[in-house]
Amino acid sequence: MLQPFRVLTPANIEQASAELVRLGERATIYAGGAELILLLRYGMVHAEYLINIKSISGLSEIGWDGQTVQIGATVTHRRLETDPLIRERLPLLADAESQIANIRVRSQGTLGGNLCFNDPHSDPGTALLLHEAEVVLASKDGLRQIPLSDFLSGMYSTALEPGELLQKTFVAPLPVGWGAAYLRVHRYQRPTLNVAVAAKFQNGAVEDARLAVGCVGPKPQRLSELESKIRGEKLDGARRIFADSKPYLKDSLEPVDDLLGSAEYKIYMAAVLLSRALSQASRSNGRG
Amino acid sequence: MMAEPLAPIATLQSFAIEITVNGAVWKGNVPAEEVLLDFLRYRVKLTGTKRSCESEVCGACTVLVDGKPISSCSYLAFEADGKSVMTIEGLASGAELDPLQEAFIRNMGAQCGFCTSGQIMAAKALLLDNPAPTYEQISEWLNGNICRCGCYPAIAQSILEAAAEYKNRR
Repeated sequence: MLQPFRVLTPANIEQASAELVRLGERATIYAGGAELILLLRYGMVHAEYLINIKSISGLSEIGWDGQTVQIGATVTHRRLETDPLIRERLPLLADAESQIANIRVRSQGTLGGNLCFNDPHSDPGTALLLHEAEVVLASKDGLRQIPLSDFLSGMYSTALEPGELLQKTFVAPLPVGWGAAYLRVHRYQRPTLNVAVAAKFQNGAVEDARLAVGCVGPKPQRLSELESKIRGEKLDGARRIFADSKPYLKDSLEPVDDLLGSAEYKIYMAAVLLSRALSQASRSNGRG
Repeated sequence: MMAEPLAPIATLQSFAIEITVNGAVWKGNVPAEEVLLDFLRYRVKLTGTKRSCESEVCGACTVLVDGKPISSCSYLAFEADGKSVMTIEGLASGAELDPLQEAFIRNMGAQCGFCTSGQIMAAKALLLDNPAPTYEQISEWLNGNICRCGCYPAIAQSILEAAAEYKNRR
């Protein structure tokens, strides 16, 4: 059984922020509850107040302004997996979302909740880093927009300041002509590690590439040095570079041993999955 | 003998709710922290929905809320206010079993049976969403419903047969 709590239902995001400021650590934001209810049950989160943001208007919307997809904080994983706009503009994200846990978790859990918990064994963050997503953080004093890579600051931690909540995520589609792939290995319905790769090929060589790896260390990360190294390489050359990149991966990803795999295994598999994903991206005919 | 774990020892807040459970309206108060699984088992006395992992992994507690499958162990009961909940008890019409239940019996889609109500409710949700699923789609949809007896082939076969039977009846 869960410890007793009260549920507050603010009418708008300013009120939600004001409640967060008033109650401090006694309160937590409640959206889908897929992760929060578990953490309350396990005693990993203590809250006397759940601030229910599900009925705040606008937070459950998906929008498109001609350049960027906007995803409200309470949009569920299932909706991202199935929404026609997401499937058309952000197929890599739809694919990553479709692999989260199981159909029940995807029906209940929200993207905002997922990003705010920043559980190291998670799918969406890795895919969104590839898109250079940005998040909008709201407080009673206003809004600020920061890159997702800055927001996801460490294991179970984010750049949220006291009184701030995530309002929406901006995600730009990949440039035209890029291919992409999201791959993972998983146990117990959670990714042991995952990679997201997008690349543009010109005459069989990598013209440009983006690489992201998640779950190996405390947070998902882009591998900018490796991205520059494979530019100009043919697929075989890039795959050799990945195979030789384990020392670099170890330095940059801060691998940790955990229940899902050893640090050594995860580094080994990260190199393998990067190779596979690049091959897959090269075959996806510009369908990012 | 069923324990009564619901005594609201120190409930801070309760919600007056109205939920349609298997077609019948339930009206009353529930504590904010009560999960749907406890609501169904101890308040409505429907014990077909099983508690197992309590971490949204195993699927034993699967029920449908407005036709969508959820883990009732981790879904707050007050959230179902104004909604329609379907449990394994709501599938049969009187003595007439649902084609899914008949197919599970015919194919022996269970050994110990503990996961079965969750398997069948997940399957029901699938067939509501997609009346003619392929084996692969069944496997994707039910990968979060674990059967430790390993009856997966019989479960998948049962769902394929039930889908055909629904189609015949239409």
